[in-house]
Amino acid sequence: MKTFLSLLGLTALLTWTGPAMSAVNIFACHPEWGALANEIGGDRVSVYTATTALQDPHKIQARPSLIARARVADLVFCTGAELEVGWLPVVIGQSGNNKISVGKPGNLEAANYVPLQEVPALLDRSMGDVHPRGNPHIQWGPQNIQLVANELAKRLDYIDPAGRAYYDSRLASFTQRWTQATKRWEQEAAPLKGVAVIEHHKELTYLFDWLGMPVVGSLEPKPGVEPTASHLTELVEQQKGNPAKLIVITTQKDPEPAEWLSGQIKVKEIALPATVGGTPGAKDLFSMYDDAISRLLAAEKPKS
Amino acid sequence: MFKPHVTAGVIALALAAPATVLAQTNQQLEDIQKQIQDLKGSYDSRIQALEKQLKEAQDTAAKAQSAATQAESAAGQAKQSAESAAQATGLKPPASPSAFNPALSLILMGGYYNSDQDPRTRVVTGFLGSDEYGLPNRGFDLGETEIQISANIDHYFYGQATFSIEDGTISAEEAFFQTTAIGHGFTVKGGRFFSSIGYFNSVHNHAWDFQDPALVQKAFLGDNFGLDGVQVSWIAPLSAVYLEIGGEGGKPVEFPFPDSFNNKNGFQVGTVFAHLGGDIGASSSYRFGAWGLTAENGVTDQLIPALDFTGFSNTATGGSDNLWGLDFVYKWAPNGDPSYQNFKFVAEWMHRSLNTSLTYAPGTAQTQSGSFDASQSGWYVQGVYQFHPYWRVGLRYDQMNEGSYDLGTGLAGAPGLAPPDFTPRRWSAMIDWSPSEFSRFRLQFQQDKSQQGLTDNQVFLQYIFSLGTHGAHKF
Repeated sequence: MKTFLSLLGLTALLTWTGPAMSAVNIFACHPEWGALANEIGGDRVSVYTATTALQDPHKIQARPSLIARARVADLVFCTGAELEVGWLPVVIGQSGNNKISVGKPGNLEAANYVPLQEVPALLDRSMGDVHPRGNPHIQWGPQNIQLVANELAKRLDYIDPAGRAYYDSRLASFTQRWTQATKRWEQEAAPLKGVAVIEHHKELTYLFDWLGMPVVGSLEPKPGVEPTASHLTELVEQQKGNPAKLIVITTQKDPEPAEWLSGQIKVKEIALPATVGGTPGAKDLFSMYDDAISRLLAAEKPKS
Repeated sequence: MFKPHVTAGVIALALAAPATVLAQTNQQLEDIQKQIQDLKGSYDSRIQALEKQLKEAQDTAAKAQSAATQAESAAGQAKQSAESAAQATGLKPPASPSAFNPALSLILMGGYYNSDQDPRTRVVTGFLGSDEYGLPNRGFDLGETEIQISANIDHYFYGQATFSIEDGTISAEEAFFQTTAIGHGFTVKGGRFFSSIGYFNSVHNHAWDFQDPALVQKAFLGDNFGLDGVQVSWIAPLSAVYLEIGGEGGKPVEFPFPDSFNNKNGFQVGTVFAHLGGDIGASSSYRFGAWGLTAENGVTDQLIPALDFTGFSNTATGGSDNLWGLDFVYKWAPNGDPSYQNFKFVAEWMHRSLNTSLTYAPGTAQTQSGSFDASQSGWYVQGVYQFHPYWRVGLRYDQMNEGSYDLGTGLAGAPGLAPPDFTPRRWSAMIDWSPSEFSRFRLQFQQDKSQQGLTDNQVFLQYIFSLGTHGAHKF
């Protein structure tokens, strides 16, 4: 009898899923989605962000802590477009959580709701680590953030119908503030139009496209391949005919190749946050854009 | 003489001429002025008319421009909403029937092996005969080619198969289905699969950190211990820490002896395992594991190659293998970003209790039979440090413990039937170069002192390539 009771107690303990909390557990793959989840979800969600702005999103591993978090998630909120193909399928498959598989309401792939740029015409591994569906680093297009926010609100309405009015009002407030902020950024960033840049990886493509800054070169010889000495030398040559005014990398990258090139071609080199949390100023989506634009403007000013 | 009236007349005429001219000039001036006035007036009015037209044209242009801008932004919005509508309804280019094809990948492996000792006769004293140790052939060797196929089967199941092609034979290393929809932390796996005991046991050889498995892995479990059967695992909803508990049951693929076929109903092997894992800060992750295995030994009159060291023939019948082990893996990368630098540490310890009924034939003396219980253990530690996006170095140390034999009365006094007074050891060092996640070259040096009485210096050079879509690896 004692054994039976202790076994029963053990079973109860093992299958207890916690107190009936109203918080929707969101597993956000990247900090931009964690920040957006907080904007739209507010007090009704509990957000876990799987990665930080200092981690290369292509190199994450399916470590035990991620599986444990996915186990209790109501919504997995990621970019998709194969950005997380190196780890997310294992995390979802091992989690024993049937709410978060691909295709379920509990699985939100932001890239499905955004027009992707740079869809490759030819797909071959010899071209580097090319994303088949297009450039997945969509967090730098303000229109993209709005589109994803709209879809997130719909998902939250579906998963947590009792919070419908709350999510809708938070979306409305976010939309208003985001639209105003976008206009402000476009005005502030007007001096940046036409300023040619060299990037490290294609993680800021949507930002440069939005601000009208042409990208004339990339430190990586091919996407996902580390900068090589020969390729950097090519960029020095290229500067004569097709000059860049700025070298822009992210704080996640090793600054050495950018610093070397900057010294060679006498062009300023700056680092922007790859996403929320990449710099002290990038605390949420609004301040992430603020921080990036102010860094670009400060760098673009002629030396006094 | 001049006539005075002519002169006067001339003078008068001269005086009057300018006046006339003046009068005429005045008249002309007036005419010119009038003409200028007229012209001015006409030009004025024309200029006014032109200015008016210009203003009207500018107004029209401005209106047209603002209309154009509005149209442009409206078109932009329409385009966006059309695109998002297309996205939402999934209106992408029509998919071909092959869109449902599974993920298919090919692993190419091969290399070169150089050793002091003849690999065909090498043993691990007290643990593995030469066939079981399975060192590569000297010189260039293709090794194994692997094909992996995986996909979701339907809304309930996922399936995966890994075929190994080597020396003319193709075999299914793994071919299993797995549930995806039970929920509540449960997953059920069925078919042929590598057991989840240990750390490297469930890892395919193309994902190993060294060319070969650890000695204790090889001795107690083979390259990868697999079973035909079923696995149930459960993950606790703890969220802050990873806790997995599971068990397996079925028939071993090739264990504990090469020919373990057992004509018997029910389970022949059972395992239990538990894993505990988590993060330490942003830079470190770990996983502890503990496991146990019990297997029926289904052989009759089968040689135990591990007892070859006695020099006498032996055959075993029936009995069981009971193993248990602990494993630990720790990974570190600065700020959790492994791109430029990272470190991985693995340690495993295993204990085996082999119980069987042994017939021992020393040849000179009489044949003896009795119960034979061997209690042995082994362990290894390895560290791999990546110091560059493409380069890693690794060190590993293996050690086996010959343990003790418990002989039944029938085997009392059997000559030579005692654990060798020897500790098998091995040191390995490797360096590998991986220009992408799909290609790797590895150079490995090994000082193998696992056979009593000799030292085997081994050099491996290996390549590993993966083509196609390959599923993500585990932690």
